[in-house]
Amino acid sequence: MKIAKKKNSGTSIIKIINKKTLIMLDFDFNPDTRILTCIFKGRLDTIISTQLSAELDSKFISLCENEDPQALLDFSLVFDLKEVSFISSSFIRLCVAGKKRVRNGNFSITNCDPFIKKTFKIAGLDGILNVK
Amino acid sequence: MEESLVEKANDILERAIFAAAEFQQFNQEQTDKVVEAVYKAALNARITLAKMAVEETHIGIWEDKVWKNVIGSQLVYENIKNEKTVGVISYDQNTGISEIAQPLGPIFAVTPVTNPTSTAIYKILICLKSRNPIIISSHRSAAHCTGEAARICYEAALEAGAPEDCVQMIPAGSREFTQAVMAHPRVALILATGGTGLVKAAYSSGNPAIGVGPGNVPVFIDESADIPFAISSILKSKTFDNGTVCASEQSIIVEEKIAKTVKREFERQDCYFLSPEEIKKIEPIAVVKDTMSMSPFIVGQSVEMIAEKAGISVPSGTRILLAELNGVGKDNPLSVEILAPILAFYSAKDYHSAIKLCIDLNYLGGIGHSAGIYANDEKRIMEFSQLINAGRIVVNTPTSQGAVGGTFNLLPPSLTLGCGTGGKNITTENITVKHLINIQRVCRRKMNDKFFSLDEDKYFDENCKEEELRNEYHKNH
Repeated sequence: MKIAKKKNSGTSIIKIINKKTLIMLDFDFNPDTRILTCIFKGRLDTIISTQLSAELDSKFISLCENEDPQALLDFSLVFDLKEVSFISSSFIRLCVAGKKRVRNGNFSITNCDPFIKKTFKIAGLDGILNVK
Repeated sequence: MEESLVEKANDILERAIFAAAEFQQFNQEQTDKVVEAVYKAALNARITLAKMAVEETHIGIWEDKVWKNVIGSQLVYENIKNEKTVGVISYDQNTGISEIAQPLGPIFAVTPVTNPTSTAIYKILICLKSRNPIIISSHRSAAHCTGEAARICYEAALEAGAPEDCVQMIPAGSREFTQAVMAHPRVALILATGGTGLVKAAYSSGNPAIGVGPGNVPVFIDESADIPFAISSILKSKTFDNGTVCASEQSIIVEEKIAKTVKREFERQDCYFLSPEEIKKIEPIAVVKDTMSMSPFIVGQSVEMIAEKAGISVPSGTRILLAELNGVGKDNPLSVEILAPILAFYSAKDYHSAIKLCIDLNYLGGIGHSAGIYANDEKRIMEFSQLINAGRIVVNTPTSQGAVGGTFNLLPPSLTLGCGTGGKNITTENITVKHLINIQRVCRRKMNDKFFSLDEDKYFDENCKEEELRNEYHKNH
């Protein structure tokens, strides 16, 4: 797995390149609105979800280094699934963990297709995870 | 119930529901890949699992349990492998109706002590083929071998890309915990195979259930039957795994005029008729009289072991013990279901008396399960079949193998046999993949021209009666 990072006026992008599939996770943190958007792409199976979890952890650590830790707890977290075709149970757990990260519970999932929406519905999490 | 157990049940169901959410995204190819991998792993483990089951439960014969594992893996797989279980599964041009298969969700499966590994394999295969995660609750005396079967299947499934937690086991032993999981609102269906209490618990849980309980299989040997063939066939079934299959023969019923011939043939084929005194000695070790249910200590034991426990001596090499009885019910404890190599034998004065005895036995704890007939008279076969309340009436066939299917006939091979409403079941069929999917029907517009051309005024006229409305409906315009 190769990880490439680049800085772009407050936005950091991480690309994870798997041997078989190109999976991408982009971060977009807006310091003014305090919204961290995680843009997922591709087929998020168990292996990829585990890798993504590690990348999310790193991202939060790096944010903590640059931000006031107390203020950071009040940010909003958005998972953008516009280009996601499949989610594993591990990714569902990642979403649950994501919601727990934000103290005010301001977590949402946006742009998922109906198939993914149904997946969250079956998991009984579409309300809790604020699936839009 | 302790809070920790509630949390544990919630955790199991959360894992299962997440697995269900992932599984419903699988296409047919991905699903079939998982099922094939599980079947291969289970079939390869058939001998190890069979030996483990006998070692742990002290029930049955390991060589026969190998065959049970083959039925639960290979025969079930061959039967279901080409089934469509994902997406559009049919389209009828005449009706314009398409059928779409949807998974149910987490299935709570209870497995018995008598067929622990084979039932686990079979249930895992049919659940995964229908894209449902399975939570297995084994009998407490078979927890280790059932757990090993589940582990082998789960690892193979994961390797083939199945969702995490698509197969889970719950710890055996706590009835309270089992019932809590069973009644959990996230359980989509209970697939229970076991005794009456278990089946009742499943149906009382508030969740949909397919609960399959006990049988009490009567087998009628008609005068038109080939008697040596019939006896040989019965022995194939009743000796199989020391009689632990719930569809195994429990009573043999014959007309008086052939009784001697049949008894002689049983004896010729190494069976032993107990004397009235010996029957009295066997009764207390075979049946709990208060409840009129078989003793768990006799299930799947050998003839030698049973004779030793009862303190009787039988000829060496005896295959089956037969008890000639003259009634059905509490005065004749051996007339109930006994999953061991003990058979009740009845000689009735004529054909009608014999059939009436079969009906009594059928209704003594085995309604809706299975029955057998040996005959070459088609009229009698059909008459018997219509009088007996059984999901499967197997003809000239060993009832254990015949009811389970896949070997002596073309019934779907299954280790959970529906008993219909008599057994408080919703179906009399052998449970298989089709019972574990929700079928949605896409109903395209196909107008009923007759309905839309009716004269409405007539339908709102109190004086207009059925005959006129019938004519109105069938009138050609």
